[in-house]
Amino acid sequence: MNFINIKIAWRSIWRNRLRSSVVLMAVAIGIFGGLASVGVMKGMIIDNVDNTLKTETSHIQIHDKKFVENNEVQFVINNTSELINEIKKSPNVIAVTSRTKVFGMASTASKGSGVMLNGIDTEVEKSVSIVSEMLVDTNSSWFDTNKKNRIVISKKLSKKLNAGIKSKIILTFQDYKGNLTGASFKVIGIYKTQNSMFDELNVFVNKKDINRILNLPENSSHEIAIMLNNYNDAKLIAKEFSDKYPDKLVETWYDLNPYIKMSADMIGFMLFIFMSIILLALGFAIVNTMLMVILERKKELGMIMAIGMNRRKVFSMIMWETILLSFTGAFVGIILSAIFTTYFGHNGIDISSVGEGFESAGYSSILYPVLHLLDYVQVVILVFITGIIASIFPSIRALKMKPAEAVKE
Amino acid sequence: MKKVIEIKDLFKTYVDADIIVKAVNGVSLSFEEGEFAAIVGPSGSGKTTLLNMIGGLDKYTEGSIIIDGIDISQLSSKQMIDFRLNNIGFVFQAYNLIPVLTAKENAEFIMQLQHKSKKERQERIMELFEAVGISEKANVRPGKLSGGQQQRVAVARALASKPKFILADEPTANLDSKSTADLLDIMRKLNEEENITFIFSTHDQRVIDRAKRVITLEDGKIISDEVK
Ligand SMILES: Nc1ncnc2c1ncn2[C@@H]1O[C@H](COP(=O)(O)OP(=O)(O)OP(=O)(O)O)[C@@H](O)[C@H]1O
Ligand SMILES: [Mg+2]
Repeated sequence: MNFINIKIAWRSIWRNRLRSSVVLMAVAIGIFGGLASVGVMKGMIIDNVDNTLKTETSHIQIHDKKFVENNEVQFVINNTSELINEIKKSPNVIAVTSRTKVFGMASTASKGSGVMLNGIDTEVEKSVSIVSEMLVDTNSSWFDTNKKNRIVISKKLSKKLNAGIKSKIILTFQDYKGNLTGASFKVIGIYKTQNSMFDELNVFVNKKDINRILNLPENSSHEIAIMLNNYNDAKLIAKEFSDKYPDKLVETWYDLNPYIKMSADMIGFMLFIFMSIILLALGFAIVNTMLMVILERKKELGMIMAIGMNRRKVFSMIMWETILLSFTGAFVGIILSAIFTTYFGHNGIDISSVGEGFESAGYSSILYPVLHLLDYVQVVILVFITGIIASIFPSIRALKMKPAEAVKE
Repeated sequence: MKKVIEIKDLFKTYVDADIIVKAVNGVSLSFEEGEFAAIVGPSGSGKTTLLNMIGGLDKYTEGSIIIDGIDISQLSSKQMIDFRLNNIGFVFQAYNLIPVLTAKENAEFIMQLQHKSKKERQERIMELFEAVGISEKANVRPGKLSGGQQQRVAVARALASKPKFILADEPTANLDSKSTADLLDIMRKLNEEENITFIFSTHDQRVIDRAKRVITLEDGKIISDEVK
């Protein structure tokens, strides 16, 4: 029975086309601006989280409890391959690899730099980390299993040490027993991730080489890195492993990088906060417009009340007009946002010319905006609430109209 | 004949910047079913004020108005709105129609407020539009109707709710003489054939001539009440 109110409300919007169009445009632009920026930020964060997990933290890492305290070489996980086989049995696990990790010094004839040596299982590593896909120099290659003492370093370190492909790098570090040891490695690959801090620190070598130099048994390592079906399950699975291996420290990606966890959590909030601010501003414009509308229709509203439309219905009529006005604008804004995120979500927005600082902070210079259905739903709900709130004041104004006054010539 | 409206010792006083205006100054009056009554008098004599009080659009200072046995001063403002919807038909001088609805939708609107079924609405509106001679303009919006046509839609709208009587404050004031005559013909016909009660105010001698009863006001008092 409210249909008549809605019908009148909808048609009334088009009585003053210019004014309504201005409000609609404002709402559309506001919604589009908000959604597009949130989409870009969301894309950035998701990309950043994704990359961090795939290059740095993986989903779950396992170390010896003592190793974590001060990274001493002797605190290894023995029987690595047996442990890996066990972990692989968990249905949530899609990939597992092991690493030997040791701090050391990388030096060339001219320069030196402190590095984290990652002794990796060169083939299995590919299933956990995407560093092998991030080789930049055209002559770069990933490890050839037969060749000893090969190293992959980052572009950044390559510049710092002035060492290109085929250059020799001397790695020095303390072995198992605390003796200084070292070896010469040949650069075969140069990589570049989005995080230049990670890049500067990390070098990759074959685990067999480093275990040999360190005098570690072949079947031992410092780190087990695990990828799951869904990174949101990390906490649950970590708990499982933690119970199973009480002498090991099992950490999730967000234990390892709380900042990333924060970013991931922020995604949900961002839209809400952004849109609330924008809609608050739009709300004032809508209230203002509706007050004008009511002033203009004083006589008509008085007449409607005189002939017998009750206050509740008058209220709902004004409310519907406000909501429909907001919604039409929001609809246009949402369509624009959907087009924007679909197009650029595919093709990306290249900001490398303006966003140099971005990369050092771990963000990609090509942005892929992301919006989910739920984001749009959230916006629709927020617009609806804005419409209702914005209509309260004008509706009260309308109800104050006395029929006898209003119908007076 | 059944009494529909009974007014006793009615007063309405406006206080406007220390000046007291007795717009209605002791009026006693009653109307029966089927009347066709004109309230006349010079400008400021209290015609609008009186009609607004009968229609429950304005509160009175003293006295009583009983409509169909109900003392309307006892109704809450919410009850009053419903009472108006179901018992009184209104035709104003202007701004009668909702500009975004077609003629038919305007008339239907009041029946929708009464929760009448679609079928009932359609039938009644068809019939009424026929009676006021506006059928061919049913799907036109008020902006495209002449003043006379708009007033005929307003009369149809007022009748659509099946009220006990129709109040019309200077319904012809904005109309030319041809439209005035047409509207009066229609009202008179409805009055005679359907026994619809009309109470209207006017300045216009031609309208007064068509009335069956003429009540003359001056300074808020009745100075004559003649039945022709
Ligand atoms: N809201 C009001 N406040 C103060 N005075 C009012 C108000 N409404 C009407 N009056 C006064 O009451 C008196 C009667 O007014 P009313 O409008 O009823 O006259 P009327 O007979 O309808 O006149 P007209 O023929 O010009 O329409 C006038 O003196 C008018 O100034
Ligand atoms: Mg008047």
